[in-house]
Amino acid sequence: MIQQEIPGKPITVTINGKEYRANEGEILLSVAIREKIEIPHLCYEASLDPYGACRLCMVEVVRKGKREMATSCTLRAADGLEVLTDTPEIVKHRSILFELYLAEAPKSDVIRDMAARYGVTRTRFLKRIEQGDPLGNKCVLCGLCVRACSEIMGAGAINFINRGPYTVVNTPYYAPSRDCFGCGACVRVCPTNAIEMEDAGAERVMKSWSGTRVPLSPCECCGRYYAPRELSASVLARLDTPLKEEIARLCPECRGKHIAREEILAKHGGSAKHA
Amino acid sequence: MDERTLDAIIARHDAPAGRLLGILGEIQNQEGYVSRETLEMLSEKVGVRISQLYGLATFYSYFTLRPVGDHVITICMGTACHVKGAVAILEALEGLLGIKSDVTDDGKLSITTIDRKFTVEIARCFGACSMAPVLRIDGNLYGYATPEDLPGILGEYGWKP
Ligand code: SF4
Ligand code: FES
Ligand code: FES
Repeated sequence: MIQQEIPGKPITVTINGKEYRANEGEILLSVAIREKIEIPHLCYEASLDPYGACRLCMVEVVRKGKREMATSCTLRAADGLEVLTDTPEIVKHRSILFELYLAEAPKSDVIRDMAARYGVTRTRFLKRIEQGDPLGNKCVLCGLCVRACSEIMGAGAINFINRGPYTVVNTPYYAPSRDCFGCGACVRVCPTNAIEMEDAGAERVMKSWSGTRVPLSPCECCGRYYAPRELSASVLARLDTPLKEEIARLCPECRGKHIAREEILAKHGGSAKHA
Repeated sequence: MDERTLDAIIARHDAPAGRLLGILGEIQNQEGYVSRETLEMLSEKVGVRISQLYGLATFYSYFTLRPVGDHVITICMGTACHVKGAVAILEALEGLLGIKSDVTDDGKLSITTIDRKFTVEIARCFGACSMAPVLRIDGNLYGYATPEDLPGILGEYGWKP
């Protein structure tokens, strides 16, 4: 589940010999991202608990003169923590991983570019290319979509299927899902842009998820289809704001205009009643 | 599976740990496979998403998603058995039963003879590696198996050449 992070006390960590400010308990990878220190990573998503699945974010922790490898997405900042991000061991480890990912997701531009940035342009492993793969041979099985779908959205429409080399992510029985809201959270978190989704008129089609179709609701003002119907209902049920009415009926653009108009009316003593 | 039977199974598994696997195991044992209808009904009843149940059912080689024959032959393809000649056993079986196995998209091999007498499946390690290669027919283990033993073993289950 998503944890509410309470910022810890300010401390100092050392990355590649340079000191940086951080909060105690903060995830080291997020410190690195903030400080623009490059550590490759695929399965880290700030809105989910770190999971340590992709192993790409490995760094070396220096402790009492000894070094040991750790995933920086699960490593918590503590005062005096010292890490190195590009030692020969890390480079070696990373290269093998990139080779494996190149074989696992041979059609992914993201992987190809990321690997190339670290000098890996070919793989010795057998490339797994499957005709008609709903994820376009781009999935690295990081599990972020599965977790976003169940842990953030509570939909649980997709999951891992099978095991070992046959593992894939999809809807059960490869059938259109009744649990999918069409929220697109999976599309947003996927590090390799593997998931295809398309809005076609009054429907959203989750192309990668067995062609699941979700009805969209139209904006009452401009008529544009803008939000999955099921999703708006479930979000609204949780929402408690005077804006509720407008959110239910208007797309974000029209909502903005509407609010602006009301403010002007209010300022000029006009009626703030909804039309 | 009918609803009453499923209710009874669910009622027997009330401890949260391993609950779903326990229920799925009983369904598999009683019906010989886990049908889509049963899985959907179970999802409704226990309030667990079908994606999760399907994930479990496809993860463990113990479960079959398609109906099986009267006798289920499971060949171990674990490391020890593989090294000791499990592939030869599988090929010999295919010859005797007149089937050609093909790995399905779930990676679970499962093929049933046309007369629905036998289903051949593979598993990964029964934990009986000391007797490798091992096969199992309806719960009976056969160790140190050779292709030559097969006609005799199959005969016990009504197979005729
Ligand atoms: S589809 Fe994307 S988010 Fe989902 S497991 Fe594959 S790579 Fe990860
Ligand atoms: S980002 Fe740390 S293991 Fe994937
Ligand atoms: S490998 Fe076959 S029983 Fe262990």
